Amino acid sequence: MNMPLPVALFQLGLLVYLAGAAAALLAWRRPQKARLAAFGLPVLGGVVQLAASAAALSGGSASVWTLPLGTALFPWTVRLDPLSSYFNLALSFLVIAISLYSLDYLRDMEEHRNLGAMGFFYNLLLLSLTLVFTAANAFFFLIAWEVMALTAFCLVTFEHEKEEARSAGVLFLIMSHAGTGMLLAAFLMLAAAAGNLDFASFHLLASRLSAPQQAVVFLLFFLGFGVKAGVVPLHIWLPDAHPVAPSNISALMSGIVIKTGIYGMARVFFDFYGAPPLWAGTVVLAAGVVTALVGVLYALMEHDLKRLLAYHSIENIGIILMGFGAALLFRALGYANLAAIALVAGLYHTLNHAIFKGLLFLGAGSVLHSTGTRNMEHMGGLIRRMPATALFFLIGAVAISGLPPLNGFVSEWLTYQALLAGFGTTQSLTRLMFPIAGSLLALTAALAAACFVKAFAIPFLALPRSDAARSAKEAPLAMQAAMGILAAACIALGLGASWFVKVFDPITEQALGIRISASLVAGRGFALSAGAPHSGTVSTAGIALFLVALGAAAGYLVSRLARSQRRSTGPVWDCGLPGLTADNEYTATAFSKPLRLIFSVLYRPRREIQAEYEVSPYYPKAIHFESEIEPTFEKHVYGPLKDWILGVARRMRAIQAGSVHAYLAYIFVTLILLLLFEVRG
Amino acid sequence: MHTFQDPQFGDKVVTLMAALVLVLQIAMAGQRWIVTNIRIFAAQSFLLAAMAFTIAWFNHAAHLYVAAGLTLLVKVVLVPILLERLVERIGIRREIDPIVNAPLSVLISGGLTLVGYIIAESFQRPEQAGVAALGHNALAVAISLFLIGFFMTINRRKALTQVLALLCLENGLFLAAISLTYGMPLIVELGVLFDVLVAVLVLGILVYRIRETFESMDVSRLRRLRG
Repeated sequence: MNMPLPVALFQLGLLVYLAGAAAALLAWRRPQKARLAAFGLPVLGGVVQLAASAAALSGGSASVWTLPLGTALFPWTVRLDPLSSYFNLALSFLVIAISLYSLDYLRDMEEHRNLGAMGFFYNLLLLSLTLVFTAANAFFFLIAWEVMALTAFCLVTFEHEKEEARSAGVLFLIMSHAGTGMLLAAFLMLAAAAGNLDFASFHLLASRLSAPQQAVVFLLFFLGFGVKAGVVPLHIWLPDAHPVAPSNISALMSGIVIKTGIYGMARVFFDFYGAPPLWAGTVVLAAGVVTALVGVLYALMEHDLKRLLAYHSIENIGIILMGFGAALLFRALGYANLAAIALVAGLYHTLNHAIFKGLLFLGAGSVLHSTGTRNMEHMGGLIRRMPATALFFLIGAVAISGLPPLNGFVSEWLTYQALLAGFGTTQSLTRLMFPIAGSLLALTAALAAACFVKAFAIPFLALPRSDAARSAKEAPLAMQAAMGILAAACIALGLGASWFVKVFDPITEQALGIRISASLVAGRGFALSAGAPHSGTVSTAGIALFLVALGAAAGYLVSRLARSQRRSTGPVWDCGLPGLTADNEYTATAFSKPLRLIFSVLYRPRREIQAEYEVSPYYPKAIHFESEIEPTFEKHVYGPLKDWILGVARRMRAIQAGSVHAYLAYIFVTLILLLLFEVRG
Repeated sequence: MHTFQDPQFGDKVVTLMAALVLVLQIAMAGQRWIVTNIRIFAAQSFLLAAMAFTIAWFNHAAHLYVAAGLTLLVKVVLVPILLERLVERIGIRREIDPIVNAPLSVLISGGLTLVGYIIAESFQRPEQAGVAALGHNALAVAISLFLIGFFMTINRRKALTQVLALLCLENGLFLAAISLTYGMPLIVELGVLFDVLVAVLVLGILVYRIRETFESMDVSRLRRLRG
């Protein structure tokens, strides 16, 4: 059989994931074998899928393949077009690192955990994720989507003896199903117009619907995919569900599972819609700004390392949506070039976030693995005990803060450039959106940097704050290697940005009909420019060289001065108190205090101080301090919503009267109405 | 042509009998003695058997004779005897006390007949005038029987009388089957009749049990089972 290379590789990759799931089941009672098979095979599967998606991206034309399952009405079709392959690329790269990491991370769990179950669901999740990204039939897509939600639920509640894991799982399931319901409705509306469920026939279809239908379909898709992506205010499940899972699963969830929502939006916005209405872009852009800002503000207040990272996922989804929203606006206004730049910015940030968020969660997992706590206030001084983890975490932190020359900077810079160019594109009031969004993006990036100063400094620097932190050990080799791969990718995607942007050419050509990479590259391939005449250019490689030169010069000066000056060591000034201990250290709570005051409108902080003393209030025996912020969305949005649903349910109970006659009457009245309706129609 | 071979004449006979069936149904909805109710049901079933026989005669549909005979045996003889015995054995009050009173029940039944005709109207095809004339009236009656039977199941409190209403409803289905398609395949017919018999037996036991447990046959008391 003559089969295109990408399809052959793709099939092989799927088979390897399936084999991983089967092996996990077979080795159910032998944890060690289960661990090696269920997490060793996906490393291989990830490599094969990576090759498949790279081949599909470079091949140009999309290859189609129909699974020998399904029926004539619902064929299980897979299409490896550039957009699908790009997301599959991000997935498979992350899978390689996370699976490798899991091999060592799960070693301690062998004795008291069912690793067979975990491996089984893990491989099924990978399989369904791959199919979500590549399915080319709405029915098939929804099947993969639901399998993904269910396996993710099983993994989130893996430590099901913990109450927080169970309640997070339930919340995740409820939100996820509400989202899927909206997707189902939207797909059915499209299917009614197209006559079938093929994505190929949905192409540009949504723009041919009537204006109200277009609006309904758009909003249903946006909300449905928004739940999975964690768009504010649909995000509340995310900071609960991601941290309670084992850290390798958290990395997968935050790294790529939430990106399925982004993929869905990209598919709908740039494939199903020709040029969506102007308000649609405004909605997406505004949602992106709010999501980014709310995400980073809540992250700042978090002292649970993994919850902090989960909130940052929300923030980054917001940044990606800003790119998408700007692209939609430019498209509606007729600026294809700018739309392509904004789309590239959003997609680039999607991959970047997958990589650095994966890296950070794996780093947090290593810390959790050796200290046993997620609370930053109990860590400290880990850089001496876990130097490799600290280095990789630092690289991830620099990348997510959007500092040059790493990858986060490149995509955020592209987003800025697109937003800044937007002001001149229209005379209407919409143009005010662009500078506002740009300045808020700047604020978000600054706050993220502040947050990661805390997230790096409190756990890793200074003195250990607890015995657990004092006795921490460096992560095993496979875990270090996995983090190393991702850290290297952060650097490569930053320095090699002007080469990497070529990857987006087939995607923008598919979505917008133009190739953009040539106008993005300047300075003989060493610098990025934003394409427009008066826009900026930046060279990450140049910045890196400059930084290295600056570092070398500083090092030289220091060593010269150190030789000429005499060095002496003395005790640290301790304000007259008897000796400095870890208790005197700057805490995460204290670090975030200024921001808590500035943004108190959102946080509504509450604090309580109780001092116990015997003789005089100036000599307290013990001080009890408590501080918390108000969960605004849970309290003001979801609280009333929950009360309303429960109220309606209580009133609906009157229908279920328990009377046979009443039930018969319901059936009778329904029957007569249906009959008459049918006769009239 | 001999009168007894003229299909036109057959149609008229069938229509007349269908009208009588409908009248009996409305009478059943309107009166309140259980034993009378059972007997009206028997009479109605007898008319139905006669209709099946007539249709079989004029249209030369041999298997309808079997259906007619079985209806006669099961619905005219067996089921009424079983039900009357049940009434005697559990010694209940001989009155049905309906939720809606008798005059109103008759009015509602009339309204449902109207609905039945409106629905049957939509099935009429002008190009098949001959068949449709028979089909139309009988179908309208069949739908009305079904709807009135349904209404009776709602209107009655006691399980036994609900069983009766269910049987009337089933008569409507039977009429629809024989008038539209000259009967369903025999095996289906047999199955349906057997179902009716079993249903009566099972419901008889159930009624007895309900009475034992609740000291009453009023199904409204089943409300207590609600969680």
